[in-house]
Amino acid sequence: MRHAGFTWHDGALLAQGLAVSLGLFAGTFLIGLVLGSGAAVVRHFRVPALGTLLHTGLELLRNSPVLVQLFLVFFGVPALIHQPLTPVFAAGLTLSANTAAFVYFIAVAGLDAVGRDQVEAARAFGLSRVQLVRHILGPQALAFAVAPLVGLAVNQLQVTSLVSVIGVVDLTKAGDILNLRTLRPFAVWAMVGVLYFAAAKTLTLLGNRWERRLRAHAAPLGL
Amino acid sequence: MMAVEGVVKRFGAHTVLDGVSLTVAPGEVVTILGSSGSGKSTLIRCINGLEALDGGRITVDGLDVSDPRQLARARRLSATVFQMFNLYPHMTVLRNITLAPELVLRRPRDEVEAQAHALLASVGLAGKADSYPGQLSGGQRQRVGICRALAMNPRYLLLDEVTSALDPEMTAEVLAILGKLAARQSGGGGTTMLFVTHEVEFARRISTRIVFLDQGRLIVDLPTDQFFAADGGLAHPRIRQFLSKMAPAAPLAEIPA
Ligand SMILES: Nc1ncnc2c1ncn2[C@@H]1O[C@H](COP(=O)(O)OP(=O)(O)O)[C@@H](O)[C@H]1O
Ligand SMILES: [Mg+2]
Repeated sequence: MRHAGFTWHDGALLAQGLAVSLGLFAGTFLIGLVLGSGAAVVRHFRVPALGTLLHTGLELLRNSPVLVQLFLVFFGVPALIHQPLTPVFAAGLTLSANTAAFVYFIAVAGLDAVGRDQVEAARAFGLSRVQLVRHILGPQALAFAVAPLVGLAVNQLQVTSLVSVIGVVDLTKAGDILNLRTLRPFAVWAMVGVLYFAAAKTLTLLGNRWERRLRAHAAPLGL
Repeated sequence: MMAVEGVVKRFGAHTVLDGVSLTVAPGEVVTILGSSGSGKSTLIRCINGLEALDGGRITVDGLDVSDPRQLARARRLSATVFQMFNLYPHMTVLRNITLAPELVLRRPRDEVEAQAHALLASVGLAGKADSYPGQLSGGQRQRVGICRALAMNPRYLLLDEVTSALDPEMTAEVLAILGKLAARQSGGGGTTMLFVTHEVEFARRISTRIVFLDQGRLIVDLPTDQFFAADGGLAHPRIRQFLSKMAPAAPLAEIPA
């Protein structure tokens, strides 16, 4: 069997795939963060119908496979609205909603972990709800949530590889293309794996640094 | 004037406040005594709007605390010092004090910070502005709690058992500060206090009036000297019983008269 050698072009393809994966991850994670924590705040203040509705919807999203959600959006929704969706749009929509679901449950736990007594103090001192979220609940819930959020981010970065099956040319799809051309699966998939690892490791390191900053007020136990 | 008129508060089937009426006029230091569970904290929490009323009315300078808009204005007139301090653990001591004056009263940061530093110095915590609450002792935390309340320049100060989480030495530190604050009142124009405490001797020294809560009812409301008179408050068996159970007061010698 003849092997085609690696070319500069292959490097460019991988780099482009990596950029698509990272971009998709960053965009959907950011949207998921905003939506998920927004829903958690709605839940925290016990907004009657809306809170329950969001909770149910997000629970459905959390408890079903991303791949199924992706197929539902990419194949199912167009059949319903008689209009095709682009792979990137379907991928963005699915991953944003899926991330929101996981963020929601992390944020709810973070908000619940903030001591009731200081929240009452802030209310008694006249802070509005918005000020309460911004200055008291938000920063502390974030400090509780940052470790699970970093874990979630690492996971969601890897979940982006699923979008390759609906035709988005992300890092995994780039590896696939390269593999078919060069027929050197071990070298190609090892390279792709290392790239995912490097991205995930960078995320973890950034996340840990961020967590240390947020927890500056909690002096480490001098054991 | 803070006016509590026939206030009823229930938790489920349990009536915790059963038609309580009480007024606190500017310049007064009113102490609420009563055994544990009699509803003292609940009354304070009704006044600062942390509990909704099931009956009656509470006004602070005419502002009805049951109305959200009026409550927001009423909260700018009073400030609370809490039993468990309730400081914001993620903020420095300085920020704990300046947060509400800046956000709620919209006072300029420079001015509020200068006041906070002066308040901290006046309670012996000049060097602690940049510490976090978790790095302070209980007594120090409560002194920060007092500074946080005073930085609101409140017309009314609500204090709910502010020393009961402290050991005797720390209690003395905090009472000394409150004693000075109360003494300043007699000059007029300062902070009026509604004070829940078990420090009976201290209450006797600083209060203009003492009220006694018993199972959600306010059974006695008398000027301090009459409260302790044999034919006044002491004529009530519940009050005699309560006072006889109170431990001798904290080291009073350390509290300035
Ligand atoms: N949030 C609550 N839910 C149910 N019962 C409560 C609540 N808060 C206070 N109580 C009850 O109300 C009564 C009065 O409590 P409290 O006002 O804290 O008394 P005190 O401060 O005089 O010790 C107690 O029996 C207490 O158990
Ligand atoms: Mg109490």
